[in-house]
Amino acid sequence: MRDRTLKYLLVAPAVLVVFATTIWPLIESLRLSFTVGRLNKPGSLDQYIGWENYTWAFLYEPAFWNSVTVTAIYTVLTVVLTTLFALALALLLVPGGRFRSGVQTLLILPFAMSPALIGVSFRFMFNPEFGLFDALFGVMIPPLADVSWLADPVLAFAVCVMADVWGWIPFLTLVLIGGLASIPRETLEAAQVDGASGWRVFRDITLPQLAPVLAVVIILKTIFSLKTFDQIFMLTNGGPGTATQTLSHYIYFNGMKYGQIGYASSVAWLMVIPMIFLTYAYARYVFRKN
Amino acid sequence: MASVSLRNLTKRWGSFVGVDNQSIDIADREFLVLLGPSGCGKTTTMRMIAGLEEPTDGEIWIGDQLVNDALPKDRDVAMVFQNYGLYPHMTVYDNIAYPLKVRDTPKENIAPRVQRAAEQVELSGFLDRKPKELSGGQRQRVALARAIVRTPQLFLMDEPLSNLDAKLRVSMRAELKHLSRELKITTVYVTHDQIEAMTLADRVAVMKDGVIQQLGTPDEIYDDPQNLFVAGFIGSPAMNLVNGSIANGVFSSADGTPMVNIDADDCSSVTLGVRADDVTAIDKGQGFTDAVVYAYENTGENTLLTVLCGGQRIIVRGDRHLRKEQDEVIGITLNAANLYLFDPESGLRLRDTGVRDNRSR
Ligand SMILES: Nc1ncnc2c1ncn2[C@@H]1O[C@H](COP(=O)(O)OP(=O)(O)O)[C@@H](O)[C@H]1O
Ligand SMILES: [Mg+2]
Repeated sequence: MRDRTLKYLLVAPAVLVVFATTIWPLIESLRLSFTVGRLNKPGSLDQYIGWENYTWAFLYEPAFWNSVTVTAIYTVLTVVLTTLFALALALLLVPGGRFRSGVQTLLILPFAMSPALIGVSFRFMFNPEFGLFDALFGVMIPPLADVSWLADPVLAFAVCVMADVWGWIPFLTLVLIGGLASIPRETLEAAQVDGASGWRVFRDITLPQLAPVLAVVIILKTIFSLKTFDQIFMLTNGGPGTATQTLSHYIYFNGMKYGQIGYASSVAWLMVIPMIFLTYAYARYVFRKN
Repeated sequence: MASVSLRNLTKRWGSFVGVDNQSIDIADREFLVLLGPSGCGKTTTMRMIAGLEEPTDGEIWIGDQLVNDALPKDRDVAMVFQNYGLYPHMTVYDNIAYPLKVRDTPKENIAPRVQRAAEQVELSGFLDRKPKELSGGQRQRVALARAIVRTPQLFLMDEPLSNLDAKLRVSMRAELKHLSRELKITTVYVTHDQIEAMTLADRVAVMKDGVIQQLGTPDEIYDDPQNLFVAGFIGSPAMNLVNGSIANGVFSSADGTPMVNIDADDCSSVTLGVRADDVTAIDKGQGFTDAVVYAYENTGENTLLTVLCGGQRIIVRGDRHLRKEQDEVIGITLNAANLYLFDPESGLRLRDTGVRDNRSR
């Protein structure tokens, strides 16, 4: 057999798997987004209605806009908080920094937990009767002693953000430690000798050199925040009301709970648009020259 | 501008001693070179002066100030790092301007000073480039310009020429020398290259294993080495060192071959030092003793003969027209006026003991 044919034959199984699990569902969902697409209505999966699902979402569905707002706020908060905490931790833990490496292995623990598990455990922690955090916050901040965290829209949102930040800090920290460690030490020392204070060294030398890694981290985290589903599902299930209903959760609810698979597909494709931009930006940074 | 004093400076990591109880007084405007093989503690000494490394013991004075507890930024020094430490995200201009910016120099003063520093190192045409768009020699000059853009109390240079190719190194060496005489700022310069040390220094401190072996002018350490280490480290080729003994005014190598008449007391074990320039190669039977040519090298400017004599190798420098064949038997004569004697045990120069070499008189 010629090498030319052989190489295609060898990658064929992988291509098939990707096609069956990714490309095909993607195409199918795009098709469905232009149909009536009700699971409980026979034939509706082939009943085309043009852009109606899309216009419906934009024009007649406050719940859609609610989930967009929730997702946007959730994304901004989690990205900013996670990045800031991770950067602070990375600065402390970078080799040659203040702390030695033993701590770094502990860091990975939260990341080893699945988002669903994080959701469940935070739900327990904030249980009004036997939740550890609930009790702890009650003792530390007495006015919060009697609040029922997950029943209050704002607090429930805060708990969701907290759980997300907690779960993502380790990964971001490790990536940033890698980024910091690859900054040539001589540049930092040169700046000190040149007369820069610790803060100036950070601002003028460390941060600009960390920028590419930081950009990748922020883009990546944004993608994951926008997609958040399982944690929210286990923690608040979008509630109370729709206070913590992210887009993914909204899509799930419409598609699986209400059986509006056509409408859900169209919203899912609306979400694809920002994702494409972000993924493109991410790829640009990761595969950039030099 | 200031004098610098290191007093009993010591740096230990655990039980490992990097710099051992080092004391040097560097005069205002002096160019001091720390010279020694790799790993002898040169960089560590320099980093302690800069404040990048904390001394385990001892004091560092810059001018009349004890700076042990001062941050690097408050020591008013400028440093050229071995790998230059240029800021990769800044242009050449911003690199050079950084020490001024960070010290809140008025804006209108920055540009002319950067221009002047760039001119001094012939970089004016490259101010808009990033460091990665420059050659090794140009990067080195950016690092230099960044150091001279201010007038610090003290320059620190850590093997600034070691990353350049041989030819560039020689020309940059001359530029450095010119610049240092022009600027007249106290300088501590680290190198493992004895030619750099000899050519640039007002004084050289030869270091080994964290200890200063000898501190003196280039002439002093070349003409008057204090011990075997300094004798063997300075000079190219290194000084010939022959183990042997002295009896009745004759030095004989370890296997009993008489090599040179010497006006010194008898001694059963001694190391004789003689530079390649102080050995003459002539025809067989014409010299003090005969030797066999082990290798003949012609460098163009002169010739180097490695000969076997009394069971030991001796390097002889001849003029450029000297021609000898390998395995040829020739005669050699050592210049009795320029011999050094060392104690093979301690490595110390024999001066004021019973045995003395002619150079010590
Ligand atoms: N941070 C450190 N920890 C332990 N040992 C070190 C450290 N820095 C340098 N050393 C050791 O100290 C010795 C002197 O190092 P250095 O001053 O860099 O030598 P040089 O510049 O003369 O080549 C070396 O043996 C080196 O391994
Ligand atoms: Mg060094």
